[in-house]
Amino acid sequence: MLLFIVLIIVYIRIGRKEKIKQEQVSLPPEIAQSSEEQPEKKKIVLFYLSEKDAFLHPEVREIYAYPSVAQEAKKTVEELLKESQNGNLSPIPPQTKLRELFLTRKGVAYVDFSKDFQVSHPSGSAAEILTIYSVVNSLTYNFKSIKKVFILIEGAEKETLGGHVNLNKPFLPQYSLIAK
Amino acid sequence: MLLVNINTKVPVRIQRRPFESRFIESFSWTKSQDSLILIVKVEHSDFSFDYFNMEDPLQLIVDLSQSKEESREVRNIIIDPGHGGLESGARGKFGAQEKDITLPISLKLKAIIERNLALRVFLTRDKDVSMSLDNRVAMANNNKADLFISIHANSSFRKNAMGSETFFLSMDATDEEARRLAYLENSSDELEDRIEGENEDEIKMILWDMAQAAYLQQSSQLAEYIQRELNLLLSTHNRGIKQAPFKVLTGVACPAVLVEVAFLSNPVEEKKLLTETFQTKVAQAIYRGLVNFIRLYGQE
Repeated sequence: MLLFIVLIIVYIRIGRKEKIKQEQVSLPPEIAQSSEEQPEKKKIVLFYLSEKDAFLHPEVREIYAYPSVAQEAKKTVEELLKESQNGNLSPIPPQTKLRELFLTRKGVAYVDFSKDFQVSHPSGSAAEILTIYSVVNSLTYNFKSIKKVFILIEGAEKETLGGHVNLNKPFLPQYSLIAK
Repeated sequence: MLLVNINTKVPVRIQRRPFESRFIESFSWTKSQDSLILIVKVEHSDFSFDYFNMEDPLQLIVDLSQSKEESREVRNIIIDPGHGGLESGARGKFGAQEKDITLPISLKLKAIIERNLALRVFLTRDKDVSMSLDNRVAMANNNKADLFISIHANSSFRKNAMGSETFFLSMDATDEEARRLAYLENSSDELEDRIEGENEDEIKMILWDMAQAAYLQQSSQLAEYIQRELNLLLSTHNRGIKQAPFKVLTGVACPAVLVEVAFLSNPVEEKKLLTETFQTKVAQAIYRGLVNFIRLYGQE
């Protein structure tokens, strides 16, 4: 893993004296403390589908720890957009990108996907339910402060995902969909 | 039957006047030693009453009212063939489209109901046209639907997903309670009054948005009856009844379910879904579930 420290060096000339001011604008920020220390990692649980049954299957991943929940939540969704490492099925169309994720004070995570999330989705009740709750559960399960998830597409609120599941309202988690 | 015991030692002479009521079958008096008993026979078992008396002259006033549930009799059924027009829904490997499966099943179901029951049946669409989900709900509520059945064909990421399942609406627990209360406050009479006005679209939508909350229990029963028949008749894998936040069910002001007949994403089921025999079987199964539900619904 390569770690970059971005240094912005600002030269300020005051008279004949020369001062050098260094600013660190490093990401991820935990690295800034010391370049020798290993960045902290955090285990998260993502939910994928299995060819075997109609449930969501947990898969553990590691992400870098960030100071804010919003950043970690964003990383979590980005991880979920990647393929399963256990040979499970992805519940999200492969071209889908995460455009933005933000949190409200009341614990609602707004997750804004690119249009592929909708246009490349196969539609159908069973598929829509699992797609939605894989995202919702992956967020609420890992972050206590996230209570509900609202899904946006290309920055806008949509009526349904593929003609069935209502996207006009935030979702509460559905842990009954998780395989036992 | 209602018995009212009136303690009186005053001798009374009973006079009868003819009356006509759809609610009261008959009433009669009997005298015992120091009381008078009024017997009111009522058509329905589910009613409530209130009474008070006035002296000089002695007057007994009995207020009988039919319980709200009792007036629920199924007259109008709305069948909603899922998708349509540009919005084709799920698609099978052999090219079958959800919208083209849901329509013939719905038409067959309508025909079976009309052949066997004296009920009015409406379809939200009877041809291949686009129809917004809000319009489907509006059609149901404006036609005073007593039952709403949305017909769909399922799709999954898994190739081997199979079987039928029947859904009713899921709501947040907190939402549900709040909405139910709000709905009860806006009694259904008021709901009907309010939706008359043309400029009150917004109020209409708000009221309709919470409409299904009051019917969740009946909706789950309806789902169960339909699912049972689908399992029996189709011998498909039983996926059971489920709850999901489906847009089309949210605003419907009567028991409402969404039936996922079989999986278009499963090539074996896709082939079946395209045959008329299978479509007819499905329509028959849903019909039987309906009949069982209506029977129970009327008796409660």
